[in-house]
Order: sequence, then structure tokens, then C-alpha cells
Amino acid sequence: MTVAPTTGAADQPTLAEEIYHLMVAQGALFALDAPIRQSLPNLAVFLAPRHQLDVNAMREAIEVALGSDERFQREEHPDNEVRFVTSRNGVYVPRVEIDTHSFKQRLQDPDKPLPIDDISVVVSTSRPAIMAIEPVFISDYWQVQAGLATEPFAEEDEFVDDALIAAELSEDAPVDLPVVAAPVEAPAEVVAKAPVEPLAEVVKPVAPKAPVEVVKPVVAKAPVEPLVEVVKPVAPKAPVEPPVEVVKPVVTKAPVEAPVEVVKPARPSRPPVERGTIFTLADGTAIDLRRPTKELLAEHGAVLAQALVDKLEQDPLRRIVSFGRRYFPEVNVINLGKNDLRKIRDYLLERGEPLLDTELIADVFYHNPRQSDYEGVRFSLNYRLHREKDFEFVGVEGASLWSTKGLPAIGGKRVKAAEMGQITSYLVEGLDDSLLEQSVEAIRQTGSVTRLLTFFEWEHGVLPLDASLAALLPGPVLPDQRSAVLRFDSPQHYSQALVEVRYPTGNRGGWLHGLEEFFHAHLVPGALVTLARGQETNMFTITYAEAAETSDRILTFDEKKNKFAFANVSFFAAVDTDQLPSQSRFARLNRLKAFPMGERRKAELILEHVIETMGEQIGSRTAPRYTISLDDLFVGYNTLRPGSLALIQSLLEHGPEFALDAALPGLIVYTPAPGSTPTEEAEAEETTEETPTDVQPTRRRYGGRYADDDE
Amino acid sequence: MDAKMITFGETALDKLLQWLRSSGEPKDIDELLRQYLELLSKLVMEDSE
Repeated sequence: MTVAPTTGAADQPTLAEEIYHLMVAQGALFALDAPIRQSLPNLAVFLAPRHQLDVNAMREAIEVALGSDERFQREEHPDNEVRFVTSRNGVYVPRVEIDTHSFKQRLQDPDKPLPIDDISVVVSTSRPAIMAIEPVFISDYWQVQAGLATEPFAEEDEFVDDALIAAELSEDAPVDLPVVAAPVEAPAEVVAKAPVEPLAEVVKPVAPKAPVEVVKPVVAKAPVEPLVEVVKPVAPKAPVEPPVEVVKPVVTKAPVEAPVEVVKPARPSRPPVERGTIFTLADGTAIDLRRPTKELLAEHGAVLAQALVDKLEQDPLRRIVSFGRRYFPEVNVINLGKNDLRKIRDYLLERGEPLLDTELIADVFYHNPRQSDYEGVRFSLNYRLHREKDFEFVGVEGASLWSTKGLPAIGGKRVKAAEMGQITSYLVEGLDDSLLEQSVEAIRQTGSVTRLLTFFEWEHGVLPLDASLAALLPGPVLPDQRSAVLRFDSPQHYSQALVEVRYPTGNRGGWLHGLEEFFHAHLVPGALVTLARGQETNMFTITYAEAAETSDRILTFDEKKNKFAFANVSFFAAVDTDQLPSQSRFARLNRLKAFPMGERRKAELILEHVIETMGEQIGSRTAPRYTISLDDLFVGYNTLRPGSLALIQSLLEHGPEFALDAALPGLIVYTPAPGSTPTEEAEAEETTEETPTDVQPTRRRYGGRYADDDE
Repeated sequence: MDAKMITFGETALDKLLQWLRSSGEPKDIDELLRQYLELLSKLVMEDSE
């Protein structure tokens, strides 16, 4: 028996109103249409004490009151809990999320679309703000030329394309299709197994055009016999011999409930196309690319390298740039600003000598060799400095040295480069006999050259860059490189000297200078010196054969008086006495005139002067004739300027004034041309009156040991 | 590619440049030439097979 609620029917609206206000108060901050939910037990528990009713009775009263009120909606949840829903509007109406006012929808699906055939509807006639890059059509021919595409097949390969298409079609066809097209030359094989019922399949190839086999199975219901496969190829019409294989009918015992299995033929491979593998260089050299690269490099390496270098230099985009033998992409080369160049130049001037690129990178840019981009930075530095006019590359292979304007000149300025180049021009004229005693192979193998010092070499610290020295010293790295700076160590004296190598250009010879101080300090003319390679490519050593102390009066040059003179000199080097310009051996050497360097390039003039000065007068005063030995002539000639024995002999052979007298074996006879006045002869006669002891040479520039003796 | 179409120093130069950039450091002319010949050989032999 249920207890009737004490709240009567008249109280129900009041109760509903009370509950409504209660729930609205609960959802005071909700939106007007937001649902406000409250469960029936909660309401009953809350209102029962207020109405002094039992909870169950209150529950029934609430249920009755809210059930008849339109503002409340009853909800029953799966856990049998009853909830009432209302809203601040009075009646809860679920929100509809459909938004019909959509710009996107209206744009894409307009109510009244315009006709598409009017192009002005979809294409604006105004120019777009951003220009679109239109694709440029490139014909297949040029794409094949550039290697971007393969050549189209020839006409005889047309059937292959058809077969390929047929094969692709067959691949795309569903499995349950009764017709299976077997492509091309590959042997078609169709094995159809009976599905549920035993059946017989007759496979008919249909391919009248080419060696394409089209197999068409026909399914028959009646026979109880197992599967029968018949493949009948049709003879192809094409003249090409297709590898047609006839698959004989295979009779198999019908496997019950076996699915239909179609064995697809293998995709036909493209037939091998014979293409040429030989290309020809500009000079006609044929290169077969089928040969291994090593063989090609061994046989044509030099030609190919030169051709590649030429092409890279001719590239208008300069995509690959070079420095010496090294190549790098131009886009990867780092730029050097004016500030960087100024810092490099200041550092070079501060150090006072050419510096290696590695030193510049480390000291100016603080770049570490262990950094991954070190080689790229090194290349960039060399490449950029080479393009700057304020810097000059004076390095060799493996040692990139850089010089700049303002550095102290190596070897002084006594000999000008232009004059020295003309004086040593005999080296490039084929009058170089330096390889008579040492071959190039021997020099390269031993890494050293031994030679006698002449007076000119000793006096000026200059060595002609003859073939023997050229075989020893590294060549230029860059085509336009005119000089290189080497460091010569003297292990006997623990000293170093910077030597500049001037490479021959055109008809001018090359030479080395910078050894003047070392020569004057430790050596005398006629000494035997050895130049040898060091540990680095720009490092060399200079040594000489030592001997007991020797004192002699040898030829020196007084710069103040611009005259040759004999002076007492002590030296500790082994010398060739025939080459030592001593007063006892060559008493007339001091009579030689110190021609200016510009005059000394005239080889014939110097030769005549030497003979007239040092030779014996065997003629009369009106018809003078002079004789001199070749050895003495060589020493005298090399006092004024460098010259090989081959040069002197060539001058003697080509000069009509010179002859070998049969009555005087080993002597050269010089008969001056008639009319030429022996101007120097008179001076020589005057100087003969002087005694050698009267000569007082000035102090030497580098504090040689003989200076004290002169004083 | 048919080798007759090759212009030495121009054909496949972009591939050589790509290889040089990927290496990240300057290369000697001998190494550059060896790589270029291998590129050309690959270009010809791949197409002829």
C-alpha cells in the first residue's frame, strides 16, 4: 500500500513552480537555452524535509507535479535514474547546429551557377599579381640530347608497345573475367581449374596482329570430364620472329572446389637496344666508355683532364671554379669582404713575409682544421685572394703562400727583374747544358742538385733557373704565376733564407734570388753547393762541402767605386781552384768593366770585352788579335753575367771574329773587326800599372770575414 | 643514352656538380675526371642494357 502524497492537486503547480525556481537558481549562469538537469532523487531528498514528507512520498508528488508541467521534460537514463530538464527560457529546446549561412557553401555551390562555357566567368581577364611560370615545352629530341629522356622506340618496336599495353590491360582485368589476354612474346599459359563443377575450358588465342596471344576460355557446363585446356596460337603476321611457344593442352584431374587460377605471364622485358658507347673528343680521340675507368685514365688521362678543364673554364655559368688543380662549386665558395681582405693584408705586412693560407685561416679567421668546412674555407680564401689585385700567389703545389703589396723585396733590388729575365734568356733558347752532368731522373730521384758558384751568382745571390734546378724545384701552380717563394735552410749554420723563384715567361729565362747574404757570409766563387728538397714542398736545404780555412785574394766588387778588385778573403769551403777568381789565377779579372745590367744582356758585347781584357794580345796595335782559353773565358764571362758553356761556344761559332787557331791548340783567337777601336784596351794598359796591393775594397755589406782583413 | 650524343665537359655536368657539392670539399682534377667518366659510363651503359 502506497502512501498518498499529502500535497493535493492544487499544490502541484506550486510545487512545480518551486522546483522550477530552484533549478533556474541552479543554472543562473547558464545560457538561456542551456539545459538545466536535476535528478528526481535529489529533488526528493531536498524537498522532503521542507514539506515534512517522506522521501518516497515527496518523490511521487514531484513526479506528478513536474509530469504535468510543460516546462519540464522527463529523461530516463540507463541506470533507471529519472531526471528533469528545463532551461531559463522555460522549455528546453535542443540547439540546432545547422548553419545555412556558409560563405564556403555559397561560393562553391551557388544557388544559380553561371554557365561554365563562358570563360570570363572562371578566368579573370586581369593580370594576376604573381606571375606564374609557364612550363616550356622541350621537344623529345633535345631531351634525349640532354640525357633527360630516352629515345622513343623505333618503328619495329611498335608491336612491343602494343604488347605492353595488352599486358597491362590483362593485369588490370579482374580475375573472374573469362577472357585472359596473354601478351607478347612470352609464352602464354593459362591454367584454369574447375571451380565447383567440373568443366572444360577451351582457351583460344586471339591475336592476329602480332605475336600477341589472346587466350579466351569458353566455359561449358555439361561435361563431367575434368578441365581441358587448349591453347592454340595464331601464327603472327609480323616478319619478326617471335618466340612463340605453343602450350599443349594439359589434361588435369579435376580438383573439386578448386578456385580459378590464372597464371599471368611474366611482364615482357624491353628488348636490349644496341647503342654506341664510343664518343669522340675534339681532337679526334675516341673514348670507349665500356672500358674500365682506370684504363681510360691511364691511356687518355692527360687529354681528358685538359679537355674537362677547358670545358669547365668555358662554362658561361662558371658553376665549377678552380684554384690550381682543385675544383669546387662556385655557389659553395665563401665571399671575402673588404674588411676581411684588409685584415689579411695587415697581417701579412705585420709578419713581413709571405704566409701560408693555413696560417691566414688560423690567425686571421680563427678557423680550426678540424671543422668540417675547413677545406672549403681554404679553397675560398685562395680563390678569392687570387682574384684580388693587392695579393699575389707565390706558393707551390701543397703550400699556398700569399704575398701583398708593401712586403720587403726578397733579394734586394740590385738586379731588376726585366734585366735578369733578358740576361737568362739563353736558358729558353736551347743553350742550357746543366743536364750534362746530372740527368733529370737522377735529380728527381736524389732530390738534390750540386753546382759550382760563379762570381756573378755569388755576388748577386742569383742562380739561373736552368734545367737542373727546374727539375728540382716545384713549378708554378697557376698559369699566370710569375714567382714562388721558397725557404732554404742551412743545416750547417742553422739559418734560413727566403728565396724567390722567378719562372721563365716567353723568351725570358727564370732565376732564383735571395741567397746573396748566405753566399757572402759562408762561400766564395768556385764553391760547390748542393740544393736539396726538404720535408715540405716549399722547404729546401742548401749545403756546401766544408774544408780547412783558406785565405786568398779573390775578386770582389766595390759598389761605391763600381769596380772589380781583389781582396783578402778567408773561407772554409771546398772550391774548384780553376773556378776560383783568385788574383794568382786570373790577374786581369779586376780590369773587367762593370757594365750596367742593361748592357750585360748583350752576350756578344760581353764576350768581346772579356776576351779583350783577359786574353793575350798576339797581334799588333793596329791589328790586334787576342787569344784566351775556353775555361778562362768561362770564368771571365760569368763574372759579368751568367752564361753557360753552350752559350759561349754558340757565340764563338756564330761570330766571324772568333776562330780556333791550329797553331794554338785549345785557345780561341779573337780578331776584332777592322775599324773598331779598342777603347777598353787603353784603359787596360793604364790599369796594368797598378799593383794589386793598392786596391782597397770597401767594407762588405753583410760583414763577411774578409772585411776585417781589408781594414 | 647513345655515346654519340655526349659532348665531353657538357653532358651530365649537372650530375658532376651535384656530386661535387655533396662531397663538401674541393676535389683534385684527377678525382673529378674519374668521377665524370664514371657518370658518363653509367649513363651510357644503363640505357644500353
